[in-house]
Amino acid sequence: MSTALHQPHQTTAAASLRGIAKEYKHFRLNNIDLEIEPGTVNGLIGPNGAGKSTIMRIMMGLVAPDQGTVSVLGQPISSREASAKQDIGFFSDDMRLYKSESIAFHMQFVRSLFPSWDEEYAQQLLDRFGLIAQQKVKGLSHGQRVKALLLLILARRPKLLILDEPTNGLDPVAKQEVLSELMQIVNDETRTILYSSHNTQDVEQISDTITFIDRGRVIASNNRDEFLDSWRRFKLQAPQNWQAPSIDGLRPESTFGNLRVMTTDRYQTEVEARLQSSGATLEASEAMTLEEIFVAAVVRGREEKQ
Amino acid sequence: MNTQAIQILFLKDLFLSRWPMFGYLVGGLLSVMVTCLPSESAGFIGFILMITVTIAAGIHLIGALLLAESIDMTRTFIMSLPVSLLDYSIAKISVVLVAFLIPWFGMLASLTILNFVVPEAKPGILPFLVLLFLFMLGGFCLQLFTAVVTESVGWTIVVLVLGNVTLNLFLKMLYEHPVISQLNKSEVLSWPPVVLQIMAIEAIVILIALGLTFMFQIRRRDLV
Repeated sequence: MSTALHQPHQTTAAASLRGIAKEYKHFRLNNIDLEIEPGTVNGLIGPNGAGKSTIMRIMMGLVAPDQGTVSVLGQPISSREASAKQDIGFFSDDMRLYKSESIAFHMQFVRSLFPSWDEEYAQQLLDRFGLIAQQKVKGLSHGQRVKALLLLILARRPKLLILDEPTNGLDPVAKQEVLSELMQIVNDETRTILYSSHNTQDVEQISDTITFIDRGRVIASNNRDEFLDSWRRFKLQAPQNWQAPSIDGLRPESTFGNLRVMTTDRYQTEVEARLQSSGATLEASEAMTLEEIFVAAVVRGREEKQ
Repeated sequence: MNTQAIQILFLKDLFLSRWPMFGYLVGGLLSVMVTCLPSESAGFIGFILMITVTIAAGIHLIGALLLAESIDMTRTFIMSLPVSLLDYSIAKISVVLVAFLIPWFGMLASLTILNFVVPEAKPGILPFLVLLFLFMLGGFCLQLFTAVVTESVGWTIVVLVLGNVTLNLFLKMLYEHPVISQLNKSEVLSWPPVVLQIMAIEAIVILIALGLTFMFQIRRRDLV
């Protein structure tokens, strides 16, 4: 599966990527189609080096695609265009502030570029995140730096938030503080979030829609609940010469003696009955966690590519 | 083009470079004062200090304002703001140039004034000094071009070293030139054609280097 399940269509999407490709020396982003509906939280999950950051950088005009078109908030995006960025808040794990300056300096700087800057909210965030405005950036811990960057982004009240691994490297307390703030934003249905992580638990916690990326390709994209409902793992006791029935989406995962583990990405209630009638004994039919689904989807995607 | 964004970015960088800029201005003015002390060796030391301050200011400001933005990844932050590549390029190239020109101009202006005020000074040396300072400005512009194109500290230092070697050859050429060497000892200020020709070549090099710097910067496809 190389295409997102949410195919681009003619609506006012918060962001739309069509046929995006980008070639690097050792990596290729391959024909990415992605449509992000307004007012939704979209999780982008992929292993390190899958292409999540490249997609997000392309959406911000920081990297020019070799092929394809990108529009964000109804406007084409490129390094030559700045107007769309007025309503986008972008966070990247490798983004840095000026070490020798204070948080207050950065707040003043960002405020001067954004008429929408909400000073009251900025002060609330300072308090909530436990940050001191006069503190120099070089004295901040990793968690404080992430929070300071999020403050600078959130206080301008962007319509679209593009967050590249915002919880990466955070301790559990800081991670929860960041996720809580994002969940508050999610309550505002006019705002859209694209959130990338290799941590499926974080994404599962806040996302409506989830897209899996691996080796520069979209391998699956779906509504979170549909993802969880459509994937299933079966544990079967079956003789050595057992032939698995031909069921759409059913694949073997592993074998331990007579124990067969199989997964499906198109679960329907009759699957169990068909497995039972094939001569195997069904020991368990288990719902899968998002992390298990992600791993299974990556393995399937790589097998299909080969 | 968003002039307000350019202005904000320019002032931000000027603020960030305020201490090195001020330090090089003070250092430059002190070295000019040393050249006026009544001793031949003081004059020589002051002259060497002046050149050293100018070269150090150039590489320091290019490093702090331009290369550091790519190495420290602050550019990702800046380019996530409503700033286009054109806005960013205009602001960045202008501020690096202005930050360098402040100590550069401070030294040249103070030297010019002192040449007319100090009784022992010989105003005829002014064309030599203008040629020298324009040469150093040209060297700075070539380093700026290299830094923008390669984003490499290593290559920028290579150009700096080549510039210093060329500066020595240039000084030797000026000292050995019959017209210019005579001017240096003259009580009267004059601008012979050879001086104007060298100045024109220096101005062309500066303009080409700046033009190419800007052209390469705005053609950049990937900013991070």
